[in-house]
Amino acid sequence: MEKNKRNNSVLKSVAALLMLTGLWGCEDIIDLETETGPPLLVVDGWITNQAGSQKIQLTKSAAYFDNSPALPALQAEVWIEDDLGKIYHFEDAKSDGNYQWQPAEADSALGAVGRSYTLHIEHEGESYTAQNEIKRVPAIDSLVFTHESWPVTPEKGPKDGFVAEFYARDFEGTGDCYWIKPLRDGKAYKNNPVYISIAYDAAFSSESATDGLIFIQPIRQSLTIGELFEDKDLVGVELLSIDEAAFNFLSRVRTQASNGGLFAVPFSNLPTNVKSTSGKKVLGFFGASAVNRMEQRVDANTARPRR
Amino acid sequence: MRFLLPVFIFCFLFSGAVAQDRATLSGYVRDGRNGEGLIGVSVFIREAGTGVSTNAYGFYSITLPPGGYTVIYSYVGYSKSEEAVRLNQDLKKDIELKEASRELDEVVVSTTREDENVKSLEMSVNKVEMKTIKKMPALLGEVDLIKSIQLLPGVSTVGEGSSGFNVRGGDISQNLVLLDEAPVYNSSHLFGFFSIFNPDAVKDMKLIKGGIAPQYGGRISSILDVRMKEGNSKRREVAGGIGTIFSRLTYEQPFAAGKGSFIVAGRRSYLDVLAKPFLNKDLRGSKFYYYDLTTKVNYRLGDKDTFFASGYFGRDVFGGGGFGFEWGNATATARWNRVFSNKLFMNLTGYYSNYDYSLQMGEETDSDAFKWNSKIISSSLKPDFTYYLSPNNQLTFGGQYIHYHAKPAQALAISENERIDLSQDARYADETALYIGNEQRLGEKLSLQYGVRYSLFRSLGPGTFYRYEEVKAGERKQPVLPGETFEKGKVVKQYGNWEPRFSMNIGVTPTASVKASYNRTAQYLHLLSNTAASTPLDVWTLSSLNIKPQLADQVALGWFQNFRNNAYDFSIEVYYKDLKNQLDYVPNSELLLNPFVEGDLLPGAGRAYGAEFYIKKNKGKLTGWLSYTLSRTERKVNTINNNDWFPTRFDKPHNASLVAIYDLSERLSLSGNFVIASGTPATYPTNRFEYNGWALPDNYYNARNNNRIGAYHRLDLAATLKLRRKLFRIGEQELVLSVYNVYNRRNPFSVFGRINEENALKTEAIRYAVMGSVIPSLTYNFKF
Repeated sequence: MEKNKRNNSVLKSVAALLMLTGLWGCEDIIDLETETGPPLLVVDGWITNQAGSQKIQLTKSAAYFDNSPALPALQAEVWIEDDLGKIYHFEDAKSDGNYQWQPAEADSALGAVGRSYTLHIEHEGESYTAQNEIKRVPAIDSLVFTHESWPVTPEKGPKDGFVAEFYARDFEGTGDCYWIKPLRDGKAYKNNPVYISIAYDAAFSSESATDGLIFIQPIRQSLTIGELFEDKDLVGVELLSIDEAAFNFLSRVRTQASNGGLFAVPFSNLPTNVKSTSGKKVLGFFGASAVNRMEQRVDANTARPRR
Repeated sequence: MRFLLPVFIFCFLFSGAVAQDRATLSGYVRDGRNGEGLIGVSVFIREAGTGVSTNAYGFYSITLPPGGYTVIYSYVGYSKSEEAVRLNQDLKKDIELKEASRELDEVVVSTTREDENVKSLEMSVNKVEMKTIKKMPALLGEVDLIKSIQLLPGVSTVGEGSSGFNVRGGDISQNLVLLDEAPVYNSSHLFGFFSIFNPDAVKDMKLIKGGIAPQYGGRISSILDVRMKEGNSKRREVAGGIGTIFSRLTYEQPFAAGKGSFIVAGRRSYLDVLAKPFLNKDLRGSKFYYYDLTTKVNYRLGDKDTFFASGYFGRDVFGGGGFGFEWGNATATARWNRVFSNKLFMNLTGYYSNYDYSLQMGEETDSDAFKWNSKIISSSLKPDFTYYLSPNNQLTFGGQYIHYHAKPAQALAISENERIDLSQDARYADETALYIGNEQRLGEKLSLQYGVRYSLFRSLGPGTFYRYEEVKAGERKQPVLPGETFEKGKVVKQYGNWEPRFSMNIGVTPTASVKASYNRTAQYLHLLSNTAASTPLDVWTLSSLNIKPQLADQVALGWFQNFRNNAYDFSIEVYYKDLKNQLDYVPNSELLLNPFVEGDLLPGAGRAYGAEFYIKKNKGKLTGWLSYTLSRTERKVNTINNNDWFPTRFDKPHNASLVAIYDLSERLSLSGNFVIASGTPATYPTNRFEYNGWALPDNYYNARNNNRIGAYHRLDLAATLKLRRKLFRIGEQELVLSVYNVYNRRNPFSVFGRINEENALKTEAIRYAVMGSVIPSLTYNFKF
C-alpha cells in the first residue's frame, strides 16, 4: 500500500497521541528569503471524454513566495493530434493563456476511451510535446452514507453527521489507475493537493495485489475529508481513469504538499510528461481521462447505522 | 582465516615457555557496596611501573617476574586500594573498592593511573558514568542515556525528539547498540522522545566512535556498549521513582550466600491511567503507554565460572477505536565467564534479539480491515577470549555466528469481505566472523593495538529473489520477472570482508600522548528510512543480490592530555571517514510493504571529517565537560543534487555542549546543560507554478540540502535534593526538579515551503519546532 497516504493517517493518530502525552510540535509562519530560478513554461492541461470544450492553460513559473497570479504564456500555438491523425486546434481567444478547443456541435467530445493523444505547443521559438491516452473507467455502483459521531466536537463540520463513500469495482487486469475527485453541490470539493485521492487497481499502489476488487475502504471513504457531511448535503464523486505517469505525478504532488515535520521526506522535483525538443526544462503535466460521475443527497432516514 | 590457528598454537606454546620464571596475579575487582564487577579499573604495579585494566566483567590478570609488589587498584569515584603482594607463584586476588565520599575526591593522592585518558590505547571513546547521567537535567525529568551521549563530541541528531543518534557522519542505523551484548534495533520509546534504557538497571556505558577493536563488528559507525547491573550480591535493595512520564521500580537481591544475585527493573508510563477518568466514553478505550522490563541473574560457581542471564522486554502501545499500533524490542542474553588459567579468560555469549511492530485498523472479522506486522530476529553465539600473555601483550581472539530471520511484512487487507494477502517472503541470512588482536606495549612510550576481523555474510534461501533493470537513472528500477527461486539453505549471495584494526599511543610527556587509529568496518544490515526522523515502522533489511554491504574506513589522530593531577581530561581529535554503499532513495520511494523495495534504493558514497575538542573535569565539587565539534558530513548519490556532494540531514558544522554539575552540599546538587549547534540543512523550492488551482514547488537548480535552517540552542537546569528524612530509617529519598528549554526557545526542527491549507494557491514558509515551550518537571526517587 502506498506509504505516504497510510503514513499520513498513522502519523496523524500519532500526533494526536503526542498531544495527549503532553508533547507537541508547533508551526509558525515565517519570512524566508530563497533563491529564484528563471521563469519556465508551465503546461496545465487535462483532456477528457466529456462533451464540450477542452482547455490547455499555459503560464510562467514565478518566485516561490510570490503569491500574485501566474503570468500567462501568450501567443503559443497549441494543438492535439490523436492516434488516427485527427488534429484539434486550441485558441487563446481572450489572450489570457487559456487555450480552448470548441466542438463543432455542443454535445460532441474530444476524447474517447482507447485513443491516444499528443499535445503540441510552439512557444517562444521552442517546441514541446506530451503524450497520453484515455483509459477505461469502471461504472460507479453507488454512493452510501453512514451515520457517524465523533468523540469530540471538531473544529469544522458537525459532531454528528455522515461519512460518504462510493462503491465501484476495479477492472480485471493489473495497472488500472484512477483519480477520485469529491464533489459537493455539484462542484469540486476541497481541491487541495494534500487531499488528492488516487488508486492503483483497487488500492494505494502497484505493489499490493488488489486487482479486480471493490476499491478498498480508505479509498471509498476518501470523499469524506476532515469533516462529516450533514443531512441533505449534495455529495458526489468523479472517477477518472489516468495513466501510470499521471498516478506518479499526482502521488508526488500530494507528498510534497503534505511534507513537513518529524517524518518529512527529502524534497524532490515533480516529474513531467512534457518534453521540449531542445531539452529546455518545462513544468506541468498533460493528462487524459475518461470520467464517470455520480451525485446524491444525504438522507438521514436511509443512511446506514453507525458502525 | 587459516593463518589464525598456527598463531593461537604459537601463543599457547609461547606462554608455556615463559611461565617458568614468571607468576600471574589475577582476580576480580568489585564494588564493595553491591558486589558488582567494576569495568575498567586500573590495576597498577608500582615497582614495575606497569599495569592493566579490568575487563567488562571486572576481571584482570598480569604476569610479572616473582617478587614483592605494591598493587594499586584505582577507579574514578572510588577510594583507591593499595595491596602489598608477595608474588612467588600464581596468585588470585579479588578486591572490593569502596565508593569515595566527596571529601576524599579532593585529596586524592596521585602516583597512579587515573590517567586512562592519556595512557590507554582507547581513542575516540567516551564514557559517562551513570551517576553523572542521573544528575544531568533531562527532558520531563526522565534520565536518558541516549540524550546524554548526544552531548558528547562527534555525536549529533537530526533534531529534538528524533530517534537515535548520529556518530561522526553515520546514520542512526550504523550504531551497534548493545544491551548486555545483544543488539537493540530501536533504542526509543515514543518515536525518540525517551530511550529504552532504564537508568536504574544500567551499570556502565561506553561509546566507541573510532579505533574500534577487532572484537566489535556489524555496524560501521559506532558501538554503544551498555552493560546492565548484575544485582546487589550483598543485600536486598529496592529503588524506584515517580517521574512525569514513567514510574520505576527496581528490586535487587543476593542468593546462595552472595554467590548469586538478581535484579528486576520495570518502568511504565502512567499518563493513560491518570487520564482515564477524564476521557469520554468514545475515548475510554484508547491505549497509550510504554513500558520496559529489565532483568538479570548471575551466579558464581567456584573461582573460575560465572554465569549470567539477562533479558529486556519493552513495548510502546497506542490505539483505540479499532486502531492499534505497537512496537518493541525483546532481548535475551546468556553468558558464561570462565577463567581457564589465570591468564586465559573466556566469555561465551549467546543472545536472541527481536524487534517487531504491528499496525492494525479494524478487526479480522470486520468487512474492511488492515493488519500488518513486521519483525527481525537475530540469534547469535559469540566466544571471546583474552589471553594475558605478558604485561606487555594482551591477546584477544574469538568469533561470532549470527543467524538473521527478517519478516518485513506479514499483512492482510480486507475490503468488503474480500481478503488480500500482502505478505512478503521472509528473508534469511547468516554472518560469521573471526578475529584476533593484540595489545602490545613497546617500552614506556609506545603501545599498539592491532588486529583483524574477517566477516562473511551469506544471504540464504528459501525465497524468490529478483534482479532489477534501470528504466531511468534515479527513478524506480523494475524487477526482472519471474525472479529466481532458491531452496532452503541455498546461498543466494555472499560477501566477505577483511576488517583491519589498528591503534597506537605514543607517550609524549607523563601527562600527554598522541594517539592514532585506523579501522575498517562492514555492515550487512540496513535500516531503510527516508524520513527526517526515523519511524518505528522503518524496516531492517538484509544485504542481498542488490544491496551490497556498507563499508567504512576511518582514520583518526588525537592529542590527549591531563591537567591538575588528572582533575581535567583534555583531548583534540581529528578524523576522516570514507563510507561506501550508503543508501538513498528514489523520489516517492515506497519502503514499506513493497516486495520490490530494492528497486527504490539508490546506493551512493559518503564522507565525513571533523575535529573534536573535549575537556572534562573529573574531580571536585564542580564536574562536567565542554565539547565542541567542527565537522562536515556528506553523501554523493547519482542523480541527486546534480551528482555532486551534498550535506546529510544531520550535518551540523558547529556543535557545542556544556555540561556542569555542582555539588553544593551533601544534600543538594545543581546541574545544567547548554547546547548550541548549526541549523540542519534544508532544501527550499526556488519557484512556484500553478497547476489545477494549486501552487506547486520547483527547485530550478535541482539541489539537495543547499540551505540551512536557523541555529539550535537550549539551556536545561536541574536540582537534586536529598531529603533529610530517611525512608524506613535506612533509605534515601530525593527530589529532582528539572527544567528543559529554560529560556523557552522555539528551536526549529525544520523549515519548509508549503501551500496554505485553505487556499491552495498561496505559498508560505513554515518553521516547525518539536518543543514549543519551557518544560518543567519534578521527579521523586527512593532507595532502601
